[in-house]
Amino acid sequence: MLAIGLREFQNLFKSIRSIIIILFIFSVTLGIAKLINNYKEVLSEVGGLEGDIYMGGLLLLIIGAGPLFVTSLSHNAINQEVHSRTIRFLATKVSREKIVLGKFLGIAMYWMVCILVASLLILPFTKGFYFHQFMEALIFILYFVGLAIFLSTLITKPGMTMFLGSVLAILLPIIGLWSLWSENLIIDLVSYLTPYYYYSVGEHIYTYVVLIFPILFVLGSLLLIRKKDF
Amino acid sequence: MYAIETEGLTKIYANKKVVNEINLKVAQGSVFGFLGKNGAGKSTFINMLAGLIQPSSGSFKILGEQTHQRQKMGVLPDYSTFYDDLTAFQHLKYFSRLLNVKLPKSEILNLLQRVELEEAAHVKAKKFSFGMKKKLGIAQALINEPDILFLDEPTSGVDANAVLTIHRLIQDISKEGTTIFLTSHNLDEVEKMCDDIAIMNQGVITAKGSMQQLRAKYQNKLIVFIKHSRLNEKQMSSLRPQLEELANKVEWNQELTTVTVDGEWLIPEINRSFLHANVDVFRIEVDEPSLEEIFIKIGENQRSA
Repeated sequence: MLAIGLREFQNLFKSIRSIIIILFIFSVTLGIAKLINNYKEVLSEVGGLEGDIYMGGLLLLIIGAGPLFVTSLSHNAINQEVHSRTIRFLATKVSREKIVLGKFLGIAMYWMVCILVASLLILPFTKGFYFHQFMEALIFILYFVGLAIFLSTLITKPGMTMFLGSVLAILLPIIGLWSLWSENLIIDLVSYLTPYYYYSVGEHIYTYVVLIFPILFVLGSLLLIRKKDF
Repeated sequence: MYAIETEGLTKIYANKKVVNEINLKVAQGSVFGFLGKNGAGKSTFINMLAGLIQPSSGSFKILGEQTHQRQKMGVLPDYSTFYDDLTAFQHLKYFSRLLNVKLPKSEILNLLQRVELEEAAHVKAKKFSFGMKKKLGIAQALINEPDILFLDEPTSGVDANAVLTIHRLIQDISKEGTTIFLTSHNLDEVEKMCDDIAIMNQGVITAKGSMQQLRAKYQNKLIVFIKHSRLNEKQMSSLRPQLEELANKVEWNQELTTVTVDGEWLIPEINRSFLHANVDVFRIEVDEPSLEEIFIKIGENQRSA
């Protein structure tokens, strides 16, 4: 499991797409931090300038663009191995469960490192490490990592998961944000399935509820992969 | 304890039984050949044992356990590809990590040397020929020094040199006591390599046993070639009635007589007949049925049934 996780983790750092995404996250986070820093006197007059406002910039970026980043990088985590038949070597050496868990672990580690490095980059402005905001960003990303793994196990064609992942990455934030103002029952119900509802409540504890979703997604993947023929 | 034991192992795809209630026992340390045409169900069967395909029904035991013994198994799956970005060396290192086998660099290189890939150790797999990929496939199956090795079509599509290397390797591994289960549609290969054979057709085993057993069952005629001194009239008149009594068919030639008989127990009798007739016998050769002939015969039997 660890070997699969480590390979996934290393592979993510090797791809051009991932390097662009990392550079984008780092530069936008730093840019927002510098911008806030330039207006810190104005901001402190209006509402007080807390260190977590710098982290807020990173969190906003993760909430806005994170789903698309995750699905574009990891939509084919499982099905690419099936499609290229490399899974035949994996499945004869480790259990199918370990393949799924290893993939999840590798992608989760990659995002944890990215968010951690982004948080450390703005440390000169924040003057401290904001653990809760870091965890919020990470849990949010884990929701989509779980979703990507689930879709990748469910759907055999990598092209299809790329498409579906991108659609969901755009659709879920829209539904999540729409539900904040909508009184439509269906939209309301669907919003409980997105992380946006839990992040809009304003209590840290609610964001931890979101952790249930990646666990469910991974459990779903474990059930699905048991029945697959390679 | 058998290396492999299956009971009613079945795989159904789209209401069709691709593998149909297979009962099979493979002795430990043997080389077992699973023979059949393309689409006979050989790969589906081996993939169920290797853990790549879920059986629809039935059960199996590998080394006495009802689970896949991944730590004790090596598998060369058919139609598999390697990671383009990894070299042969990196592949073996990665696969050894998956199995929690700590292989030092020297052992990985030894393994590559064993499959004659040492010079390509640091070449990326995307540049490998089909034969090289097969060899790397065998190397990865040997990482954990398996007790049982599954080889699905180990030589299909590879050149003659690579075939020789692979055959030599299989023989060496077999000598080390590893049970080898190989599928093939190459009759010569199976005949040359295997102790026991099963022939599969349309998802069912149509024949199984050792080569001798299959020969005895499916070939009841032997062709005996006798090379001898030139026959004169007297010798001919002495030999003719004796041989025609013993054999089904006799083809006379001055220095070579071909006799078709029911079994090998008649060969000494034939030899004695020549000696009685004062004919010098230089050589006796017996043409045994090849696996190909048995294979054809089984096919004919099935069609007539």
